[in-house]
Amino acid sequence: MAENKSTISRRQFLGIAWTGSLALFFAQMMVALLKFIKPVTSGGFGGLVYAGKIEEFAIGSINRILKGRFYISRTEDGIIALWQKCTHLGCAVPWVEEEGQFHCPCHGSLFNKVGEVLGGPAPRPLDYFPSEIRSGEVWVDTSQPIQRKKFDPSQITGA
Amino acid sequence: MAKKTPQPESFSPETAPTKTYSLVELVKAPTTMADRGPDNTIFAFPAVALIELLLTLGVIVVLLGMSLAVNAPLEEIANPNTTTDPAKAPWYFMGLQEMLEHGHPTLMAVALPTLMVLFVIAIPYLDNDHRGSGVWFTSARGKRITLLTALYALIVMPIYIVVDTKYPLREILRGQFPDFLLQTVIPGLLISVIVLLPLLILLRSKPTSREIVLVMFTMLFVSAIVFTLAGFLFRGPGFELYWPWNMPGGYSPWDNL
Amino acid sequence: MQKIKDFIVNSRVWRSFFRHGWPDNPLDRSLVMTTNIFFHLHPVKVSRKSLRWSYSFGLGIIAAIVFTVLTVTGILLMFYYAPTVERAYTYINTLQSQVPFGQLLRNMHRWGAHLMVIVVVFHMARVFYTGAYKPPREFNWVVGVILLLMTLGASFTGYLLPWDQLAYWAITVGTSVAGYAPGLGPTAKATLLGGPEVGQEALTRFYALHIMVIPAAIALITALHIWRVRKDGGLAAQDAEEEGETNG
Ligand code: HEM
Ligand code: FES
Repeated sequence: MAENKSTISRRQFLGIAWTGSLALFFAQMMVALLKFIKPVTSGGFGGLVYAGKIEEFAIGSINRILKGRFYISRTEDGIIALWQKCTHLGCAVPWVEEEGQFHCPCHGSLFNKVGEVLGGPAPRPLDYFPSEIRSGEVWVDTSQPIQRKKFDPSQITGA
Repeated sequence: MAKKTPQPESFSPETAPTKTYSLVELVKAPTTMADRGPDNTIFAFPAVALIELLLTLGVIVVLLGMSLAVNAPLEEIANPNTTTDPAKAPWYFMGLQEMLEHGHPTLMAVALPTLMVLFVIAIPYLDNDHRGSGVWFTSARGKRITLLTALYALIVMPIYIVVDTKYPLREILRGQFPDFLLQTVIPGLLISVIVLLPLLILLRSKPTSREIVLVMFTMLFVSAIVFTLAGFLFRGPGFELYWPWNMPGGYSPWDNL
Repeated sequence: MQKIKDFIVNSRVWRSFFRHGWPDNPLDRSLVMTTNIFFHLHPVKVSRKSLRWSYSFGLGIIAAIVFTVLTVTGILLMFYYAPTVERAYTYINTLQSQVPFGQLLRNMHRWGAHLMVIVVVFHMARVFYTGAYKPPREFNWVVGVILLLMTLGASFTGYLLPWDQLAYWAITVGTSVAGYAPGLGPTAKATLLGGPEVGQEALTRFYALHIMVIPAAIALITALHIWRVRKDGGLAAQDAEEEGETNG
């Protein structure tokens, strides 16, 4: 053994090799597990939702599209499809006609017609869905809600 | 070492000693029972077994009684389009939801609760002095400290909740200062001062580590109870504060169990 | 009569089950503890002081008992339940209105769940105020905190299963809170829910967690917890007694 040049013994080497491969194997299992439990549905509750004809949405009106879980808000410039989910803790926000604003029943967040926060604990404006107007028909893509820090006119689909 | 026992001349069953053990050595060391043990301990069987049997029966009787008296709630089927008003988490998370009323969610529902859990986990490592283990409050002074802290939390926390709900700085000053300052920095500082104040007072009188954790734990524990009760019992429709027996719209907090 | 009893007790079958006589003498009272898997978590002898009601209020044991009751009632509830968005609510309705003792069973499971949270929290408070977390019991305190968190997790995942308005919005609000954790928050929330919203995926995942993952973990960790109580020298009340006497 004295003439053995390497500084680690055969026993140590095997020990390290075994521990190393076991650790590696375990790590692989963990990664696989994480991948496994990651949600497979990409989001939303359905792809394209037909909201109605553009003439049905009067300027300044708010219309709720129940099956798509969003509101079509029509402004001077066009429309925006606001997701009904409160950005605070996820309650469904009703439009309150008498107050002229969205009023969340859960913790009293208030939003205006384009989703900007007017009061309450909500940290950002209502999320919205991309919408499109094809030959007068309003189509909303509900698979990817878009989060925003603040309202910008570019979020409106011209009509 | 033990002395060799003298061998009897002739070894036969009749003469063999009936005593089959001998004292080998006396050692001075802590043993479980030396000197006094037997008087202070009793056999676990049947005493403990009986206690456990009685407790089991007791638990079943209490649960049966509750279950016969009150039915578990069941509302209409889940509907993602209409939120119940108020929408409450299960009661043991109402403390968290109440916290959310008073600042930014990342601060109130994530940062502070995480700190609290970390503190609770760390308690035995902050106070690792073995003395006074197994005695309620450890000392008379410990008991007084606990009571005073509990009293302080019982008074200050409800006041904080009511005042911050009636005159929310965050809403009054909305838009005049950056949101981060209003929603996170100011509420965070305010809560920290309220929670740490008893500790600061205590620190002036050379406390033991046990007394320090007594103050902190009591403060956090009583505050958690106050916040939980406030959220569970005193929040009604629109998550406004009401008296529990005087909720509008026929709502009763007990329906949320 | 006595003969029949003696015959049974002395038979090889009986002796193969129990390796000790009737525990009315010190030897058999020791053996009953050390040779029985359910009793062996206990010490053979306990100090009188640690049995005193005003010391522990028996809260730890009560927590374990309530957990057992929850396990039994929970298994029975599974006979009349399936975690699907279309049918979960109907199942609960049927259970309450048609199944004999169904409502009673559901009540016991629900009130039991609330009770367990309360009992575990009070158990923690009593351990804290008696200073029973001090060395050598530090690790058992940490184990206890994990048990508390898991108790909350079990209650929370169970809350969704009836799939009524109460369940739906409580879980919506509760999981949204998780989304605010910096960094991992949104991922954790999505993983828990299996999607962007509370829906079928969330119900499936909560069900698996509620009936299997969390209870199994609680059972295992409780075993560790109670075993540690013994290995750390029984309840801390005993130490106080010893110190008290050596100090005079
Ligand atoms: C599922 C929940 C739990 C169960 C079933 C449980 C069970 C028990 C039992 C049976 C005992 C024996 C003494 C007694 O009955 O009081 C005990 C003692 C103890 N528990 Fe727990 N426990 C739980 C949660 C906790 C929690 C949340 C903590 C603290 C954070 C904790 C910390 C301790 C400690 C340190 C002891 C030793 C106490 C002493 O020596 O006086 N346990 N536990
Ligand atoms: S969920 Fe809308 S205000 Fe809290």
